Amino acid sequence: MQQNHKNQEPNPSHFEESQGTSDQEVPTHRDLTWDEYRDTIQGMRFFDPHIHMTSRTTDDYQTMFDAGIVALIEPAFWLGQPRTGLSSFKDYYSSLVNWERFRSSQFGIRHYCTIGLNSREANNEPLAEQVMEILPLFLYKEGVVGVGEIGFDDQTAAEEKYYRAQLELAKQAKLPVQVHTPHRDKKHGTERSMAIALEHGFDPAWVIIDHNNEETVKSVLDQGFYAGFTIYPFTKMGNERMVKVVEQYGPERIMINSAADWGISDPLALPKTAALMKMRGISDETIRKVTYQNAIDAFGQSGQIHETDFANGLEIDQSQKMNGNTILRGGQQPRIAKESLFIN
Amino acid sequence: MASNHINSILSSILQELLTQTEWMWLEEKGGAEPLQLMTAFVATPRFVGRRSVTISQENTIALNDEVPGFTVTDWSTVRLSRVWLLTCLDSSDQETYVRHIETLFDTAEMNELVALYSALPLLDYPQKWLFRATEAVRSNVGDVFDALVMHNPYPAHYFTEAAWNQLVLKTIFNDKPIHKIVGLEERANPTLAHMLSDFAHERWAAGRSVAPEVWRLSSGFMDNALLEDMKHLLASEDPNDHKAAALACFHATSSAAHTLLAQHPVLEKAVQHRTISWADLEFNDLNTYATKP
Repeated sequence: MQQNHKNQEPNPSHFEESQGTSDQEVPTHRDLTWDEYRDTIQGMRFFDPHIHMTSRTTDDYQTMFDAGIVALIEPAFWLGQPRTGLSSFKDYYSSLVNWERFRSSQFGIRHYCTIGLNSREANNEPLAEQVMEILPLFLYKEGVVGVGEIGFDDQTAAEEKYYRAQLELAKQAKLPVQVHTPHRDKKHGTERSMAIALEHGFDPAWVIIDHNNEETVKSVLDQGFYAGFTIYPFTKMGNERMVKVVEQYGPERIMINSAADWGISDPLALPKTAALMKMRGISDETIRKVTYQNAIDAFGQSGQIHETDFANGLEIDQSQKMNGNTILRGGQQPRIAKESLFIN
Repeated sequence: MASNHINSILSSILQELLTQTEWMWLEEKGGAEPLQLMTAFVATPRFVGRRSVTISQENTIALNDEVPGFTVTDWSTVRLSRVWLLTCLDSSDQETYVRHIETLFDTAEMNELVALYSALPLLDYPQKWLFRATEAVRSNVGDVFDALVMHNPYPAHYFTEAAWNQLVLKTIFNDKPIHKIVGLEERANPTLAHMLSDFAHERWAAGRSVAPEVWRLSSGFMDNALLEDMKHLLASEDPNDHKAAALACFHATSSAAHTLLAQHPVLEKAVQHRTISWADLEFNDLNTYATKP
């Protein structure tokens, strides 16, 4: 079989449908190498409010730590394929509050999560009903900082039904909401998500609308919501474009994330974008707000984030034995935390 | 519902520790419908501050009288509140009760698992939790393992010998102190003593050490193989190994062990006069994996 590159789809990840090459934007994303930007972000701390670590490697954790990421939020999402039963959901949610949290801590990064039924799988109604029954047992857990990521994908009636039901759960649990906005018909889906949240009596400052772009951001900010931007090569925001958004709108209620997952994505999107902002003359305080503080303010309303837990670095003790098993394998030397942000 | 008595002892301990607001919330949830009670079990840290549990001598004795070996010392108020909620759960229908507890296990995070395993000696239908309990021994999480293995009377009562031996071996393997295991002496058995001997040989071959305290498990089963181990210990460069061998031989029923000990009169006297005891070898911070120079 001959490979025809023209027919190869671009990265169909993070809920992404292939869009062919029709909307390939002019180069608005710039990749930076570590040597190009490490000095630029010296001393900066980052909080990535949307990253799917379950899909990432320990190497990612190490490089994230080296680049100054001190804490992150992992939203519950789908696996790239539909789950077939409740147990899969239970085990997945459980892994977010157990194993992944531990794995992250082993690299000096504080791991929080949001728990929710994602929009794609809301379409399997019999299963969705069962998931709704167990959600409260996870939403009230320590370190769960919101209900998410929830919202629309195909914008079906079932998606709306479970989006509304989960908004009610969030109200009862006094948790912020992390809203995934659809890739197709994004503008309409974003407006609809916001309108429904307001209809349910939400203070918009408790709702983080994610995956914004130049077309959606103004309305989101004008209505008082938080606006998340995902820096994701090829498909979502490019970091060059992100700089322009920050220049235009300022730092208030804007937060940047990587949404790195099992697709071609970049767990270092935050530090790289911070470096680019710095190179373009954006102030340190603005950079701090959009890559650290705003996310803490928004999700901290859950009462589950204590900045003191990570502000000065987690104590890394990879030699800490979890029942004789650490993530270290025989003969590996534990990596010990150092004063410096950079470990050589 | 678990024994009313244990429930009321825990209530009185909690009322001394919690603020009025905290106790009112907890008491209400203790009397709520199962699903509400279960959600409260999860949500406890939102309504009860995490503080250390201090407990009067009187309550310590009361707890131990009710469930020998059970203690809440070094617990947090959150853990104790959660365990108390579990003792409030209606157990009149076995199937429903077991299903509720299983659901809590299935959806638990680490601190919840710690509370659940701590509560095993207080739950009804104790045989029903055997599989869960062995899962804790397999756990990858130190605190969860400790909740079942340390200061918990459940395993000694209900574990099969094979499961018990795995629990003890894994404790040793994890460099955790075995003297915190309830029922260690009562459950000692020759199979375990020989497993330990094999384990020690592997360690020695790798140039590593074995926590001296583990030899207390071999006292009652001193055959030729174990006597050879005693000789190895007596020839070791670590004085703690000498003490361990002396104590193991002294407490053994085997005359050969006593004869061996008599060849080391200074040690023999020290044991006879109780100037050394197993308590001297109860170390909490072990590092037996470091290769000896």
